[in-house]
Amino acid sequence: MDTSDKDKFELEKSNDNPINYHSSGGMSSDWRFNSTSIPNSSLGLVPTDNLMSVCRGDLVGAASCSSSSVIDSFGPAMWEHPTNSQNLVFCDINAQNIASSSNTVGIGKGFPFSSRNGIDRTLEMGWNPPNSMLKGGIFLPNAPGMLPQSLSQFPADSAFIERAARFSCFNGGDFGDMVNPFGVPESMGLFSRGGGMMQGPGEVFVGSGMKSVSGAQTQKNVMNAGEASKDVSMSADHMATEGSPLKNETKRETLARSRDESKKGAGGSGNDSDEAEFSGGSGQDEQSMLEGNCGELSAKSLGSKKRKRSGQDAELDQAKGTPQSAKGSPETQQKGDQKPASTTSKASGKQGKQGSQGSDQPKDDYIHVRARRGQATNSHSLAERVRREKISERMKFLQDLVPGCSKVTGKAVMLDEIINYVQSLQRQVEFLSMKLATVNPRLDFNIEGLLAKDILHSRAVPPSSLAFSSEMPMAYPALHQSQPGLIPTAFPGMESHSDILRRTINSQLTPMTAGFKEPAQQLPNVWDDELHNVVQMSYGNSAPQDSQDVNEPLPPGHLKVEL
Amino acid sequence: MRAPRSVLKQQFLKKWMMGLQVFGSAKQSMSILERKKAIKLSADIALASTRAGRTCWSRTIIADASKDDDGKVLVQHLLSPESERLKKASTGLAMENKRVRCKKILKRSCCIKRVRKGASKVVLAKSISKRIVKRRTQVLKSLVPGGEFMDDISLIEETLDYMVSLRAQVDVMRRSLAKATEVVNGK
Repeated sequence: MDTSDKDKFELEKSNDNPINYHSSGGMSSDWRFNSTSIPNSSLGLVPTDNLMSVCRGDLVGAASCSSSSVIDSFGPAMWEHPTNSQNLVFCDINAQNIASSSNTVGIGKGFPFSSRNGIDRTLEMGWNPPNSMLKGGIFLPNAPGMLPQSLSQFPADSAFIERAARFSCFNGGDFGDMVNPFGVPESMGLFSRGGGMMQGPGEVFVGSGMKSVSGAQTQKNVMNAGEASKDVSMSADHMATEGSPLKNETKRETLARSRDESKKGAGGSGNDSDEAEFSGGSGQDEQSMLEGNCGELSAKSLGSKKRKRSGQDAELDQAKGTPQSAKGSPETQQKGDQKPASTTSKASGKQGKQGSQGSDQPKDDYIHVRARRGQATNSHSLAERVRREKISERMKFLQDLVPGCSKVTGKAVMLDEIINYVQSLQRQVEFLSMKLATVNPRLDFNIEGLLAKDILHSRAVPPSSLAFSSEMPMAYPALHQSQPGLIPTAFPGMESHSDILRRTINSQLTPMTAGFKEPAQQLPNVWDDELHNVVQMSYGNSAPQDSQDVNEPLPPGHLKVEL
Repeated sequence: MRAPRSVLKQQFLKKWMMGLQVFGSAKQSMSILERKKAIKLSADIALASTRAGRTCWSRTIIADASKDDDGKVLVQHLLSPESERLKKASTGLAMENKRVRCKKILKRSCCIKRVRKGASKVVLAKSISKRIVKRRTQVLKSLVPGGEFMDDISLIEETLDYMVSLRAQVDVMRRSLAKATEVVNGK
């Protein structure tokens, strides 16, 4: 193993670009990183991020170092399908490394050069690029936090180093053969075997990335992957505890599943691109990238950690097949495709670009939602969007019902208006019942009931009732001091919006549910009656005697109450 | 267009009158407050019965009223034709609500809230508005009977239906009051 590694190193050394060497070394060093105990906490920080980038870099570098010119093409090349050449990938990594601050490089250099064998040295050198990359802030924010933890967990393991060396051998192989469906699991497995030292997704990713890049010995990788997957799961668990466990878990799972899908379906090509993208470590949703491959989405720059996790998840799924989300496979697949797209709200913007590609797969027995163009396709975000649309749709109905809300937009204000209106209605009921109690001492409303029916049927409102209705708003300020302004304002609103309301209501009748058809149909009539009756009264009312009559029964009632 | 609304009002009025008759025959002398309570109670139950258990708020009203003696009588009287189904629905509602509440508590305890640090202005504004919306939905839940056990979407639907029914109730009561005062004044 060591010899093979050394050979690789020689290959790397042959490169003119020292950084390439570093990066290539970094690849192996990534593995080593896990194995080698990293006492320096700062270094630890670097590793997580670097791991991601390093993985890619390592993968590329392992294949063959290219000239420095490759570095320039790093940026865009990172994300493209790495089938073009190892050099390109490597250059990407190198470019990343170079781009990052040089300080990290120094640190990396200081750290890696431990008393390990040649492999270790390469590992250390690899650190420089990742460190620089890390500082570049390319990697996920979690990485720094995660790194220290994971670093401490990885004891020096010679066996791990051996495996890493083996890894590098694989990677050093046919770089062109990017398609390595099991590359990720293999690499992950290798790392995990190292003793669960995988810092988490980063580690796994590195392993997988390397695999995909080299794609030299897929078979071996597959076998390794199988074992690695289990280990990865362990490491994944470690990772999970670091960041937002639940989210990561679910993400990984979905990603893993999606990865599985992709592996089975799309094959290594997708994975390779994923790998490459992951190693790019653009700090974006790696998961989405992974998904892209799985679901044939465009590769997104996902956080390295997420990709690693997804890779791990894929491994997990392969190994254990224990999806956390208790849904059907097609659903999970679809969700897996969607989830990576928008893992975090931060990346929602980026996800939005790729969202349109995601949710094309129909679900079996769930609500089929198609992601619109330029929107995230994460299952969570899709469900959220559906929910939001439902809520806004119903708010429109409420807008028609509540007086004076046609101009109001936004949930908060609408809710406020709705609350006020419902409260006023309830208070009106109380007030009316109280008044009725005062008016009728014996609770015999038979005659009134009969007469009321006439009132109900007839549109013509007798003047007395008008007077009473007018007294209502006047009485309200007296009785309900809390919202004196509500009713006067409500009425003008009703008047001005009656026509609009009617039109909107009629236009909305079709989408309304059956339960709401009545209200919608009744609404125009309500507005007609109310407007004619109330508005006229409230605006043209100047009948003090009515109020007097109304007030008369009240005081006695109040007096009685007080007594 | 007119028919549905007036049908609703007619139903409400009829049932309300029936409920009031129950009260009128039962007790001869009632204080004003008692009368007011009787009127309101019968009105509420009548309103809820118009929806015949299809909506959550109506079921809640009936369930709450059934706990009380007066309410039970009224419910039995008003809902005799459909009493069986509605009573079962109302009684089952309490258990269902308890279950929903327990589930929500469990969910909240298990959920891990991610605290966003250093949010940008836009994110901050969004979080503020979300909080406001949440607070107001809670208020609305307290207003609408049986609203605490519903999610946002069904809450808005219930509010819609409840608002329409409330408005019909207010309308009928207002007109009956007008008529009553007219009759009283006319005497």
